[in-house]
Amino acid sequence: MPYRKMPPQVLRLVLLTVGVVVCYLLAKGILTPQSFDEYGHYRGSALQEVASQTPVYAGQQACAECHAKALEVVAKFEHKTVSCESCHGVNQPHIENPDVKTTRLTDSHCVRCHERNPARPGWLKQVASKEHYHGQRCAECHTPHQPNEI
Amino acid sequence: MALEMTNSIPVALMTHIDGYVYPNEQHLLWSVLIVVYPYVTGLVAGAFIMASLVRVFNVRELEPVYRLSLLTSFAFLLVAPLPLLFHLGHPERSLQVMITPHLSSPMAMFGFVYTWYIMAVLLLELWFDYRKDFVEWSKTETGIKGVIYRLFTVGVNDLSERSLRLDARLAKGITIIGIPSAFLLHGYVGFIFGSIKANPWWGNVLMPIIFIFSAIVSGIALCVFVYMTMCWIRRVAADDHCLDAMGKFLFYALVVDFAIEVLDWVHRLYEAEESVHVLKQLASGKLFYTLLVVQVCLGTLVPFLLLGATQLFQKAIAMAVRRRIYFTSALLIMVGVLAMRWNVVIGGQLFSKSLRGFTTYKMELGGQEGWLVSLLLMLLPFVILWVCVKLFLPARPALAENAAAASAVVSRV
Amino acid sequence: MRTHFTRRNALHGLMGALGGVFTLSAARAAKAAVQKVFVSTQAPKGYDPTQHKWLMALDIEQCIGCGLCVEACKTENHVPKGSSYFRTWIERYIIKRPRPGSSEARGETLVDSPNGGMDGFPPALVPREEILKSFFVPKLCNLCAHSPCVQACPVGATFDTPDGVVLVDPNYCIGCGFCIQACPYGCRFMNPETKTAEKCTLCYHRITRGLKPACVEVCPTEARIFGDLKNPVADDPIQKFIEKNKLQSLKPHLGTEPRVMYAGMDKEVR
Repeated sequence: MPYRKMPPQVLRLVLLTVGVVVCYLLAKGILTPQSFDEYGHYRGSALQEVASQTPVYAGQQACAECHAKALEVVAKFEHKTVSCESCHGVNQPHIENPDVKTTRLTDSHCVRCHERNPARPGWLKQVASKEHYHGQRCAECHTPHQPNEI
Repeated sequence: MALEMTNSIPVALMTHIDGYVYPNEQHLLWSVLIVVYPYVTGLVAGAFIMASLVRVFNVRELEPVYRLSLLTSFAFLLVAPLPLLFHLGHPERSLQVMITPHLSSPMAMFGFVYTWYIMAVLLLELWFDYRKDFVEWSKTETGIKGVIYRLFTVGVNDLSERSLRLDARLAKGITIIGIPSAFLLHGYVGFIFGSIKANPWWGNVLMPIIFIFSAIVSGIALCVFVYMTMCWIRRVAADDHCLDAMGKFLFYALVVDFAIEVLDWVHRLYEAEESVHVLKQLASGKLFYTLLVVQVCLGTLVPFLLLGATQLFQKAIAMAVRRRIYFTSALLIMVGVLAMRWNVVIGGQLFSKSLRGFTTYKMELGGQEGWLVSLLLMLLPFVILWVCVKLFLPARPALAENAAAASAVVSRV
Repeated sequence: MRTHFTRRNALHGLMGALGGVFTLSAARAAKAAVQKVFVSTQAPKGYDPTQHKWLMALDIEQCIGCGLCVEACKTENHVPKGSSYFRTWIERYIIKRPRPGSSEARGETLVDSPNGGMDGFPPALVPREEILKSFFVPKLCNLCAHSPCVQACPVGATFDTPDGVVLVDPNYCIGCGFCIQACPYGCRFMNPETKTAEKCTLCYHRITRGLKPACVEVCPTEARIFGDLKNPVADDPIQKFIEKNKLQSLKPHLGTEPRVMYAGMDKEVR
C-alpha cells in the first residue's frame, strides 16, 4: 500500500489517545503506595499498622508475675480454664499501677455463666439462681478460686 | 431501636427483624443509590444499542432518533459515576480503583470500562457524526456556543468528500466495537451481583444476561419517552414510522427479557435448592408490591399486551392510539425496570444469609443516601440532555437536514 | 537536535548517572529495611509473618453462651457499641421436639443472638419440655483459604496475610462494601465511624506479640482453641483438638475453604 498522509482526524485522535495513556501510566507510577505488592496485592505496611494497635487485655501471664500463689490454687480446681481477666476485667491499669483495683466482683459474675439454661451443656454446674438461694450472696457459701469447697 | 449518626444527621432507625439474621446484617449496606447506578448505566447501554441499530443494522426508520439516542446515552453516562461516589465511605480514595485495581474483582473494572466507553466509544461516535456540523457551526455561531463548537472540531477542518466518507466508515467501526462495549458496561454490573456466591438471590449465571436485556428494554423505552417528549415540547409531529419501529424493537426486546426472567424463576423453583424457601417468602412477602405488582404486572405484562396488540393488529389500531400505547408502555417499562433493580439490590439484602429471617429497609428522606438525592440523580441526566439538545439538536430545519444528511451518509457506507 | 560533546556535558552526564545510582540503591536499602523488620515504634519487632500460620477452632460442646468473648472483643478492638457491629458473636440454637402425630424426626429450629450474645442469653421463650436440643455456636471470620472477600475487593484493601489471617487495611479501604456482601458468613460490617469495612483480625496486634486473641483469653471453658500450626507448643491445644474430634466447617459447598473448624456442630448450623 503506497504511503499516504494520515488523515487529520485520525492523527489527532491517535495523539490524544497516546496522551491519555501516558498520563495514566505516570499517575499510576506516582500514586501507587510504596509498599504495595510487597507480600501480595496490598500495602505491605498495612501489616505493621494493624499490628501496632495497643493491646487492651493484659493476658494471664501478666498476672502470674505477682499473683503466682493464687494462680496455683485456681489451677487445682474447676476454674482452671477461667482466665483472671474473665472475672476481674481488664487488668492493664492495675499492672501499670498496682494501687488501682481491678473490677469489684458481684453475683452477676457468677450468674452469667452458671444460670440454668437448657442450651448450656450438661457438664457445667448450673443453678436456677432464684431457687438456689434466698437473698444471700454467692460468696457467702462459695469460694470462686476453689469452687468445690463450700 | 438503634440511634445512629448517618453523615452527622441523627437518624433513629427501627429495624424490624423477622426470624433470625446475622447481627451484622440488620442494617442494609447497599442503599437506593446502588439501585440508581445500574438503572442509569442500563439506560446508557440500552440507548446506545438503539442508536447502533441505525448505523450497524441500517434500520432507516430510526434515523430521526439516532442523534437523540446518542445524546441521551451521553447525558446518562455523565451522571453514572455520581451514585457510586455518593455511596462510597471514602470517595476521596476512589482513584485507587484505577491506580491499584485488583483484577479479580469485577468492581475494579468500573474505572477502565467507563473510561473506555465514554472516550473510545460514545464521544468518538458522537464526534464523527457531528464533525461536519461542528465545523460549519463553528464558522456561523458566535459567543459561548461558537467557542464550544470550535473546541469540538479539535482543529480538524477538513470537510472533503474523502474525509467525510472516512468519518462514516470510522463511525461504523466504532459502533461495531461499541455494541460489545455497551454490553460490557452494563454486563459487568450484572456480574458484580452474579459473582456473589454468598447470596443466592444474586449469585447465578443468568444475572448479567438479565441485566443486559432489561437494560436494552429500558434504553429503548427511554428513547421513546425522550423523543415523544421533545417533539411535544417543540410542537413537531413525531415521525410515525420511527415510532412504529421503536415500538417493534421495544416489543421484541421485552419478549426476550421476559423470557429470560421467567427462565430464571422456573429454574429456581424446579431445582428447589436450600434457599428456595426463603426466596419464595421474599418474593411473595417483602417484595410483593415491587416485584409482583410493579415489575411483573405493570412493568412487563401490561406493556407486553399493549405492544403485542400494536404488533399483531397494527393496521386496525389508529396511529393516535398507537402513539399513546407507545408512550404509556415506555413509561411503564421504565418504572418496571427501576423496580427490577430495586428488587435485585434491596431484595438481596432483605433476607439473611442464614436463610432464616428478614430485615427491613428504612429509607431516609434527606441524607447522603436518601430519597431526595436519588431523585435528583435521576433528574440530573434530563437536565444535561436538555443542555445537549440545545447545543447539538437545533430545532426543526436542522433536524430535517440532519436526518437527510445522516441517511445520505449511511447509505454511502 | 545536536549536542556538542564537551567535557562539561560529559561531566554533567556522569554526575547525573552517579546520582541516579546512589538514589536507587538508597531507595532499595530503605525498602529492604521496611520489608524485613516491623519499623513502627509500637509494632512488635522481629515478627516475620511468613514463619507463622494461625488458626482458631471452636468446640460447641464447651460453649456456655456467657458472651464474655463478645464483650472482650468489643473492648479490645474498640468496636462501635451498636447492636449491629460484631467481629464475633454467639448464636443460640433451639431445636424443638417434633409435633405429636407428625412423623418428623425433629421439630423447627429457632436461632437467636440478642445483642450478639454479649450480655448472655435471656431464658428462651420455648418451654423446657418442647426443647429437644439446644446449644451455642460462636461465630467469627472463618479465615478462608480461598476468601471470597479478598477476591471481591476492588483496590486490594483486604487481603490474606502470609500467616493465615484476613485483614482489612483501614487506610486504603474505599468503603464500597463489596467484601461485606461477598462474605457468606456475615462476619464483616461497615464501621460507621471510620466508614471502612471491619472484621475479626484474630487480634493480630496481640498474636504478633505472643498474646492470645482477647476472645480466647477470656473464654472460661476452652470453647475457643487457638494455636500456631507452624510452631506447635508442648500439649498444643489445636493439635489435641484436631486429634480428638471429628470436624466440620461452615458452608463448605461454597468453595471458600474456611479454615476455622467446629467440633460438635449440628446440621442446622449455617
